[in-house]
Order: sequence, then structure tokens, then C-alpha cells
Amino acid sequence: MKKLLIFALIAVLAVSAVFGLAACNKDNDWAYIEKKGEMVIGYTIFSPMNYKDESGNLIGFDTELAIALCEELGVEAKFQLIKWENKFFELESKNIDAIWNGFTVTEERKESTDFSLPYLKNKQIAVVKKSNAAQYTSIESLAGKKLVAEKQSAGESAIMGLEDITYTYIRQESQLEAVQEVLSGTCDVAIVDRVMAEGTLKGASFQDLQILDLGLGGEEEYAIGFRKGSPDTLEKVNAALKKLYANGKIQELAEKYAIAESLIPIE
Amino acid sequence: MNFGQVTLQLLEGFGTTVLVFALTLAMALPLGLIVAFGSMTKFKPLRWLTRTIVWIIRGTPLMLQVIVVFYVPGLLFGVNFTTRFTAVIIAFVINYACYFSEIYRGGIESISKGQYEAGQVLGMTKAQIFFKIVLFQVVKRIMAPVSNEVITLVKDTALARVIAVEELISASNDIMAGFGIIYPLFYAGVFYLIFCGILTVMFNFIEKKLDYYR
Repeated sequence: MKKLLIFALIAVLAVSAVFGLAACNKDNDWAYIEKKGEMVIGYTIFSPMNYKDESGNLIGFDTELAIALCEELGVEAKFQLIKWENKFFELESKNIDAIWNGFTVTEERKESTDFSLPYLKNKQIAVVKKSNAAQYTSIESLAGKKLVAEKQSAGESAIMGLEDITYTYIRQESQLEAVQEVLSGTCDVAIVDRVMAEGTLKGASFQDLQILDLGLGGEEEYAIGFRKGSPDTLEKVNAALKKLYANGKIQELAEKYAIAESLIPIE
Repeated sequence: MNFGQVTLQLLEGFGTTVLVFALTLAMALPLGLIVAFGSMTKFKPLRWLTRTIVWIIRGTPLMLQVIVVFYVPGLLFGVNFTTRFTAVIIAFVINYACYFSEIYRGGIESISKGQYEAGQVLGMTKAQIFFKIVLFQVVKRIMAPVSNEVITLVKDTALARVIAVEELISASNDIMAGFGIIYPLFYAGVFYLIFCGILTVMFNFIEKKLDYYR
């Protein structure tokens, strides 16, 4: 009995020590990144923001912008592939230092992450089969349809906002898989980022699909997500973003990836 | 993106898949034997502990185990894995060792008492009896269930992508996301099929070689 008591006491102590440690490792965020000498950027693969070229090198607008920005900050940009649904998990557990992958700013997300200045305009659009495109004219025409979007995405939020119509909603792992559902005919409409859809639908396998703007969810903005409560990092990053806009680097990259008309001036 | 380039990028992912497979097997096979001894020992607390661990590992999804191994150290202690690959290997080795241990246990317990008694009559020690008489018969008996697990392992490696380790399936996904072509996903299936085909042939060969004691 006594032994059991001692064992229980040790267990309690160990657990509280663990949580104690976890609670006090929240010091200065920028100092942490600077000391490592690298900023770990969490991304998923989607064209034209982060994707691989023919020989397997990571390219894309966000990729090149991140490299330019980190150079400006004097740290190395390190890219870490993540699962999009685990993004806050990855950020909080310090596996990554930034969520930077066409990351749409929303009110809910502001509760779990600090956003940089926005740099690109985005919108939720519908992807449908070309042969069916004529029947989708408005939000109301989505009634009774099978909709699909990526888990935890802005597209999902847009679908959740459809209160007046009935529909079936399928949650998929990624925006790409959402688009694939439409292609294979298992869903009728995918709600995804315009930037993603324009980049992906250039591909040979997606020629039967079409982008429609049904006016879902309004104008959105992409920004970079950092750990909650890291004003020091934000200040550094925002200053560097302003500089890269002022010297034309951001505009140059936007031209290269054909998204210049979506740029947000950073002043 | 031509066929050759697709093949090259898939091969890169396939390299990770093979590495996960080989490292898991190399470590889980011996570790499984230790776990099997633990769950058969006469020392009750150890037996109880081992069987509880085996129950937990076999009773929860491997996908969850991979997530726990990778994220929990960072969330609780602020200590992170430097490579995700290590976390995958740890989770896979523990999981497969538990499954192998049960196969070993079944094999060892299926050997009749007479074999041990015969060894004792010949004046052999316990260790001698196990390694010189019992083990060879066990190996022979467990080959079929082990080959089953090994082939399952080939396909379980795809779970590494839950913590974003770039194995074969995620390599094919990357191509789809970057270039909007779908066939690499099905092409990836061919890699698994060939790999498992080679393993099946290998196991048939091994079983033939194991036809001693007939």
C-alpha cells in the first residue's frame, strides 16, 4: 500500500513537472528563430504557391518569396511539408515557425495565429465540370448538390455559411482531392481558392473542369501565419515585406507566376 | 512533365518507402522476440506489463501511434524530433514488434513439451534447447504468418505521410498538385505491386529452403 502511494506521488510529480516545463518555454519568438539561424516554413504542395518543378526542386510564388524574405532577415529559409489540418499543431509544437502556403486570413484563425500583412487577394470559387457549367448561375443553384472542400479550409467556411439552401457536404483531405472528386463525378462542386484552382486547372488531367465565380464568401486575403503572441517576429517580417514590395521583388515574382493582378500593395 | 521525369520523382518517394520498410523489419524482427519472451515470462509483473503494451499497440491505429510519437514530445516537453523519418521508424518498429511477438509466442508455444524433455535427457541447458532444438522448428512454423505481416508492412509505409514524410504516395500527390496530371497515383500502385511480387517469390523460396525435419 505504502509503495503504491509513493508510486502515485512520483507519477503526479512527474506529470506536473512536464506541464510546468511546457508552460515556460514561451519566450521571445524572434530570438528563438534567430538563434536557430533558420525559419522553418510549413507548406503543402499546391500550384502556383509551392510545388515541384520537373526535376523535383521546390518552386512557386510563396517558395521564392519566403527565400527572399528570409534573406532579408538574415536567416535561412527551410521548407517543411506539413498536413494542412495539422498546421496549428505544427506551429505550436515548434516543428515549424511559419504557416506560409496561400494562408487565408479569417477571424477564427486570428485566435490561433498571428498574421503578417496580407500580400495576395483570394476568393472562394466553384470548380465544376465544363459539361454542367451552364446550370450553375448563382449560389441558389448549389441547392441539392454534392459540395466538396478541404477540411479546415476557407472553402469549408464558405460552405458552412450557406444557410438558405440544402446541400450535401463532403470534407476532403486537400484542395486537390476536392477538385479530383468533381473530376471523377463523385461530387458536383468543389469550393477552393481561386489562386489554387487557376494554377491546378492548367494541368492536362483537369481540362474537363471549369472555374465559376458564384460570389461565395467575399474577398479574402493571403498572409503568413506566425505563433500567437509573437509581435517581435511580425514586426521584422512586415518590415521586410514592405521593403520587398518597395524594391519590386514581390511584383517580379507575381509576374513570373502569373498572379500579378491579385497582388495587394504593401506600404 | 514526361513519363521519365514522373518515374524519377516517384522513385525518390519509393526510396523512402523501401527505407521505412527495411529499417522497420531489421529492428522489429529481433525486438519482437524480446517482447515475446516478456509476454511468456513467469515473472508476473513483467508479463502483465508486456501484455498491456501489446494490447495498447495492437488496439490502436498505427496512424495514431505515428502522430503520438511525433507530436507529443514537442507538445509536452518542447523537444522536437529533428527528422520526421525517425519518428516514423520508432512508431513502426514498436507496432510491428508487438505483432511479431504474438506470432513468435504462438510458434514457441506450439512446440510440444517432448522436445524440451528430449533436450533435458541429452543434458542440454535451457538456452541450448531453445536455440538448437526449438527455434528452428518455430521459424519453420511461423514463416507463413510472418510473410503476411511483411507484405502488410509494405503498404503500411504509406501511413508515414500523416506526419508529412515524403513517401511514394505523397510523391505521386506532389506531381498531381504541381502539374495537374492524375496517372502518377495509379502508377505508384504498380511500384507496390512489383515490390510485393518480389517479396512473395522470396518467401516461397525461403519456405522451400525450410523443408528440414521432414
